[in-house]
Amino acid sequence: MRVTVFGASGVIGQALLPLLAGEHEVVAVSRGPHDTGDGIRWVEADVASGEGVADALEQADVAYYLVHSLGARDFERQDREAARNVSREAALAGVEQIVYLGGLGGGDEHASPHLRSRRETGERLASDGVPVTILRAAMVVGKGSAAFETILGLVKRLPVMITPSWVSTPTQPIALEDIARYLAGVGGNDAAIGEVFDAGGPEVMTYRQMIERIAALLGKRPRIVEVPVLTPALSALWLELVTPVSASVARPLVEGLRNPTVAREERLQRLLPFRLTPFDDAARRALGGC
Amino acid sequence: MTALQGWEASERVLESGGFESRQRVLLSRLAVEMSEAGARWLGVAYWQAVGDFTRGGVRATWRADGGRLRLLGGATLLGFGPPELRYGDGIVSCRYSIEGGLLALRAGGSVTLAQRSEGEEHELSVTVEEYLPSLAARVGAPWWTGALYAKGQSPFHAAVSRRYFELLARGSA
Repeated sequence: MRVTVFGASGVIGQALLPLLAGEHEVVAVSRGPHDTGDGIRWVEADVASGEGVADALEQADVAYYLVHSLGARDFERQDREAARNVSREAALAGVEQIVYLGGLGGGDEHASPHLRSRRETGERLASDGVPVTILRAAMVVGKGSAAFETILGLVKRLPVMITPSWVSTPTQPIALEDIARYLAGVGGNDAAIGEVFDAGGPEVMTYRQMIERIAALLGKRPRIVEVPVLTPALSALWLELVTPVSASVARPLVEGLRNPTVAREERLQRLLPFRLTPFDDAARRALGGC
Repeated sequence: MTALQGWEASERVLESGGFESRQRVLLSRLAVEMSEAGARWLGVAYWQAVGDFTRGGVRATWRADGGRLRLLGGATLLGFGPPELRYGDGIVSCRYSIEGGLLALRAGGSVTLAQRSEGEEHELSVTVEEYLPSLAARVGAPWWTGALYAKGQSPFHAAVSRRYFELLARGSA
């Protein structure tokens, strides 16, 4: 099977490529040049403009779409256009399946722009008739994951945290290795074509609990003070000040904290059964690379 | 607004003095699947409905040992134990024991969010059992406490349940 991976140089893409390379002919797509090797052929393309997308999809059976424009001022519009470009070219190339990693919690009318955009991207990808498989995940626990690095930045730098009440929203983080395994497992899988799956980790927790558990792994005990009023804009500016994450990335993530990001079904676990990585193990692994 | 079928609401005072209330609607399709995740989602969606209905004024906060329903991030209106999830035999449910708070006379009682399936029909329900509201009329308490419960807390609870059912019914919770 020939597989094209858009967003291959990102955190998820880097975890997914080795899993695919062992079994498939892999074309990895990014905006910049990469050396081809390890069974992976790198090509350059820009999903935002559409340049190079058709070439990247030539003879592809499955396309993975792991792209997002988080951090751009108008990320919602950019994500829509990029998904539209890939959808159109995938249909023209006769691609049989698009696999997309979306976000949990985007179905609510009060969903944050980030979560709403993730949902709309999935819809756009399906707009030209290629069946789309959507995995909906909450925070991915892995080195380089923007959400994880944001929490880590807070824990490392602040002995006292003033947090919005949304820090008590439940979420279900998943290990980077587990989401990569799920993504690899649904590609070319007849039972997954055209389906939407919730990809939750093995534990449900609040962001506050997540902060406390990461802190414990680092040997820290931060004091967390929840305040009822702290706007996403203020929170984002504060995050930019104290973490390596820019405000333009932090703000959509913070806005998303008010939405529960919890799996509502377990079909993916039944389709691809394996032991999911406990949060502490995933976090420890992510911290090990720091 | 999603049209709800089979809406029913009831409330009664038990011999023990505790209150029992129940709201339910009927659906032609499952709102949640029969699994641990489905049971958990019944609870997550309920607290989301509370937050939505009060525009964030009342929100649930959670820790490992349970949750608290807080007013404007401050006063604890009700405290709850951790969710007790159940699924199988046509029932999927999420139960929280009531463990205190300003609106509880004392710890006791529970809130159960459930989906019962029978053939093609699925009933969603919110059941409060053996709850002792601090605002309810009782011997020796000021008369207005009973009015506050009857005219305030009780209809508020029913309205939240309706919002909850709407969220689940359209699958957007």
